[in-house]
Amino acid sequence: MITASLNSYLVVSALLFVFGFIGVLLRKNTLVIFMCLELMLLASTLALVAFSRFNATLDGNVFVFFILTIAAAEVAVGLAIIVALFRKRHTVQVEELNHLKN
Amino acid sequence: MQPVQTALLVLLLPLASAVVIALFLRKQGALASYVSTVAAGIIAALSLKLIFGGAHDINQSWEWLRFGNFAISLGIKFDDLAALMLFVVSFVGFLIHVFSLGYMHDDGARARFFGGLSIFMFSMLGIVLADNLFMIFIFWELVGFSSWLLINHYHEKQSAADASKKAFIVNRVGDFGFLLGIIMCYWSNGTVNLTQLGDHHVYSTMIPLLLFCGAMGKSAQMPLQVWLPDAMEGPTPVSALIHAATMVAAGIFMLCRINVLMVPDALTVIMWIGTATALYAALCAIVQSDIKKVLAYSTLSQLGYMVAAFGLGGDSGFHSTTQISSGLLANGQHTPLQVVTMTMAISGGAAAAMFHLTTHAFFKALMFLGSGSVIVGCHHEQDIFKMGGLNKKMPVTFVTFTVGVLAIIGMPGLAGFFSKDAILYLAMENNKGVFAVLAITAVLTAFYMIRMWKLTFFGEARSKDASHAHESGLSLTLPLVVLAILSVIGGYSGVFTKLAGYVAHMVPEAEGSAHVTILLVSLVVMFTGAGSAWFFYQSAATDTLEQKSRLVFNGLTQLKESFDNLYNYYVAKIQQRFAMLLNFIDHVLYQGAIQGLASFVGLFGYGARALYVGSIHAYVYWFLLGLVLLWGFAAGIF
Repeated sequence: MITASLNSYLVVSALLFVFGFIGVLLRKNTLVIFMCLELMLLASTLALVAFSRFNATLDGNVFVFFILTIAAAEVAVGLAIIVALFRKRHTVQVEELNHLKN
Repeated sequence: MQPVQTALLVLLLPLASAVVIALFLRKQGALASYVSTVAAGIIAALSLKLIFGGAHDINQSWEWLRFGNFAISLGIKFDDLAALMLFVVSFVGFLIHVFSLGYMHDDGARARFFGGLSIFMFSMLGIVLADNLFMIFIFWELVGFSSWLLINHYHEKQSAADASKKAFIVNRVGDFGFLLGIIMCYWSNGTVNLTQLGDHHVYSTMIPLLLFCGAMGKSAQMPLQVWLPDAMEGPTPVSALIHAATMVAAGIFMLCRINVLMVPDALTVIMWIGTATALYAALCAIVQSDIKKVLAYSTLSQLGYMVAAFGLGGDSGFHSTTQISSGLLANGQHTPLQVVTMTMAISGGAAAAMFHLTTHAFFKALMFLGSGSVIVGCHHEQDIFKMGGLNKKMPVTFVTFTVGVLAIIGMPGLAGFFSKDAILYLAMENNKGVFAVLAITAVLTAFYMIRMWKLTFFGEARSKDASHAHESGLSLTLPLVVLAILSVIGGYSGVFTKLAGYVAHMVPEAEGSAHVTILLVSLVVMFTGAGSAWFFYQSAATDTLEQKSRLVFNGLTQLKESFDNLYNYYVAKIQQRFAMLLNFIDHVLYQGAIQGLASFVGLFGYGARALYVGSIHAYVYWFLLGLVLLWGFAAGIF
């Protein structure tokens, strides 16, 4: 059985978070940005689960359940907004979604 | 019905009439005029019931507003003084309502006119019945408002609109002093209730003088007399009711109400102001050509008489008694029993002033209504040089007007003779200087009255309108006849005592040699003035004085205009420039500071707006920056 240390879990989690964040900063497609946001959320979830496992407590796991619930709701709303946006504007590119400014 | 309920009804009935007219009868002129006149009739009847139907001792008040320890109450104080004034206001008011039915018959805005008359009756009765100075002040302002409304009746005319504004503003100047006086009175005495002030008050010269400012505005005393001649722009019944018989007399009435507060210094000032006004106005009246303007200046002059009488009377009282605060200024003319029942004593001067006020209300209302009848007869011609020869064409108007003229110049046996003699006697006893000025004024009064009378009614008709003149209808002549009767009998002590009760006993009466002197003086004065005017003036289309002596004529005209010029100069040159200075300071200081602050905030907002670039990526970077700052703050880096 391969045993991994807490640090390897945290490194993976941090990498996922950074990828997600860079994606949010650099991608132009709203859908991809949204996916990157989800990636950041999951990175934090992974860290929480790892902490919970190595500390032998259930706190982190309970936290994760809540995050999953909220993430589900958030995805439902967020995807709906993106779909509505596409129907209205026929685009989901962020640089074209600047009508509030002008 | 209790007397107090009757008094309340008298006060509230005209208000009800005004409200009904204002809300429902604006378009129905005829109906409005009947509502108002019937209300005035009921008021007159109820007033007569109050005056003759029992003791004059209503004294009741109800709390109205309370701020901590400070309370304003409304109340009714009905004593002999109020009874006399109530008679004048309600009875003369009713007659003038009847006159207006005829006079305003063809007016397009009849409803507004009669509504105005009703609201005036309400305000005036409020002053008469009020039991404290605050309540007097409230109704004082209402009277000013209704005066404004009625002067402004022909508001399409620029001169009428200007005159109404002038009347209102000049009155406000006086009222400012009045209000200060009331506040100061409350501050030093703790009460403004007239009865309580009578029992106990602080000795002060300032309070009565400030309160007199109010009378100066309403009763048009120097230097605030300028509004009254202009107020003649209103319809003639209004001039008769408001600007001759009742409202302008309110100042005199108010002075008599606060008689107890008077001190010698204040009375001296009041006496000289009254005397100066009497002489000044009589001089101005000589060169007027508008029949109503002559009467207006005559009113001013007679009001000056009343004010002078008031100033003279209290003076003698103070010399004989050292106890200032007792409020009993009389010199033993009343029995002790009467003193106890009196809630507030008044001096001989105040009584003489009220006496003259009453008789003046009768004969001046008579003459104003007479002039109204003449104006209607001559198809709205007001220039006496375009009249003439009306004695045959308008017999009733002529006879009644003659009674009025004889009453004002002091023909023995008519009302004006008694009241004027009371004042002259008072002046002779107390101050020879005032006596001399008042005697000269009486000569002038006879002079300008006979001038106007002769030019209007005698000689040939000097215009087409005058030659086609006709007698007015019953609604116009009936009030004239009633007022003429009152102008004859109003001066006899039997009649006056019935009306005024205790006040009548206080009127000074000359006895023995003084009586003869006064009688001789007034006869000489009357015949000098009347005779010289009768023989001097010819029934011509131009002023004889202007032809004979341009210098005197121009001098008198200049005298009349001097005050207006002075005030114009003051307003245009001094007040206007001061206002411009204030405006400049306002621009520099206040607008600078406050608008500067506003634009600073605006600039900040403009800067903040630059952050909103419209790109989600930019917002994410800001978000990242914020997160870093927050983390740094939480970690204690800064």
